[in-house]
Amino acid sequence: MINLEVRIPDTPGCLIELIKPISNNGGNIFGILHHHDKKINNMIPVNISFELNEELREKKLENIKQELRKSQIQIDNINLGIEQNNFIVILTGHVFDTDVVDTIKRLALKEIKVSELEAKFTEISEVSDVKFKFNFPESFTKEDVITEINKICQEKDLILIRS
Amino acid sequence: MFIKIGLIGKGNVGSCFLELLKIKKNYLNKKLNLKYKVIAIYEYDGALINEKGIDIDEILLLRNNFRSHKDWKENVKAIDSISNLNLDVCIDTTPTNPNTGEPALSHIFKALNNNINVISSSKGPFYLKYKEIHDLAKLKNLLVKYEATVASNVPILSIKDSLKGNEIISIKAILNGTSNYILSRMSSEGVAFSVALKEAQELGYAEADPTLDIEGYDAAGKLVILANELFCWSKTIKEVKIKGISKITQHAIELAKSEGLIIKHLAIAEKGTLIVEPRLIEKDSPLNIEGTLNVIELQTTYSGPIIIMGRGAGGYEAGSAILNDLISIHRIINNIK
Ligand SMILES: NC(=O)c1ccc[n+]([C@@H]2O[C@H](COP(=O)([O-])OP(=O)(O)OC[C@H]3O[C@@H](n4cnc5c(N)ncnc54)[C@H](OP(=O)(O)O)[C@@H]3O)[C@@H](O)[C@H]2O)c1
Repeated sequence: MINLEVRIPDTPGCLIELIKPISNNGGNIFGILHHHDKKINNMIPVNISFELNEELREKKLENIKQELRKSQIQIDNINLGIEQNNFIVILTGHVFDTDVVDTIKRLALKEIKVSELEAKFTEISEVSDVKFKFNFPESFTKEDVITEINKICQEKDLILIRS
Repeated sequence: MFIKIGLIGKGNVGSCFLELLKIKKNYLNKKLNLKYKVIAIYEYDGALINEKGIDIDEILLLRNNFRSHKDWKENVKAIDSISNLNLDVCIDTTPTNPNTGEPALSHIFKALNNNINVISSSKGPFYLKYKEIHDLAKLKNLLVKYEATVASNVPILSIKDSLKGNEIISIKAILNGTSNYILSRMSSEGVAFSVALKEAQELGYAEADPTLDIEGYDAAGKLVILANELFCWSKTIKEVKIKGISKITQHAIELAKSEGLIIKHLAIAEKGTLIVEPRLIEKDSPLNIEGTLNVIELQTTYSGPIIIMGRGAGGYEAGSAILNDLISIHRIINNIK
């Protein structure tokens, strides 16, 4: 879910200018919140939450931003939502023997945090499969995170299965 | 005017193509005004040659005994002979050496150098020397068609003509039926990799040496051809990052399942890169196909995803793709709209 914080002039028709670019770009709007109580200089802060098709998300979000700017709507903040910054990979190989704690710590140093871990193995010295759920900051793309995990996987000879 | 055809390789695909030529003869003649003569059918140890046209019905009736036919000539090799027969189209359906692209590669160059249009179901030449083949064809003003090399009769190379008003952003595909069969069996029945592989071999889906399929080389070759065609690249198989599926365990599949995900051997082309590797996809993704099927998802700028699926292998499937290529060549060389 994407959450957009904007400021729009308190004049008729302005809300339409906010909604149009979102729906033009295939956005599915979930909610709009007006903060009339926080009106300053005839500008009302508005929060709008919507979802965009995963595949063309970045491109469409860029279109929306451009169109909003053209309509003179000021964007204060964009929150790309938790789903965007949270994903799963499976590592196969000697995940434990190659020091899983070290793996987790090294990723944490890069601000990639393991939020969940589930392992399946027959014996600790055997090949295991481990599912990791990661959280990472908004400034990162999924590919940035994959690059970091990949570096460790290559060094520790682990197989990375990603989405 | 008759189109004079030379067929190299009378195995599964070659024989099915001949049968389709026979079945569709009336349609080709009457509806498309495509009149053909098969002048030569080459095998590794000799050839059927008749400059007036080989009687296809007789050859098909003889099945594997075609060497007893009066037109059979021992020890005639395609590479030495195709230039002598005034052929219009040379069709290669030989098995390819994955490292050299031979013998198809030499057949293709020989044909083009002798002003013969080319159709091929052998993919090696196109993932190794795509640019060289196209450059030569262009120089000679000849046509090269190879729809059967990627997903057989699933019209994924020719889809390019229908998407000229659009823009393709990425390709995600399952292009190897054997590895997809194995992963499907592991996911649906919980069988081990080795068991699923043995099953695939018993059912005739996997070769005795399944390395090219399960280690991703076969899918990588097809991906190169597909991406070169749809993105106008000139890449070779050396540029594909390839990971196989032989190390995928039942445990990994179970972990994925617990998140509503599934492991598939995907071939991906986007942003200038080519990748074949096992990936996690959503269970309800259109790429989650079962068994030996192939599927290709194109992400496009103006129509979103376009998905096409079908049987990626089989003699008739590849044979009909070749026949379609022949019809395209007929249309172009005879200037038919
Ligand atoms: N089968 C499919 O589903 C399918 C689909 C798409 C593309 N393809 C591709 O199409 C090609 C043919 O496949 P296929 O299944 O028909 O294979 P196949 O049944 O093994 O047939 C290949 C034929 O070519 C002959 N041959 C080998 N070397 C030759 C040479 N130098 N000159 C003339 N003939 C030669 C073989 O003879 P011997 O067997 O007697 O050596 C055999 O009769 C392969 O490159 C394959 O990858 C196949």
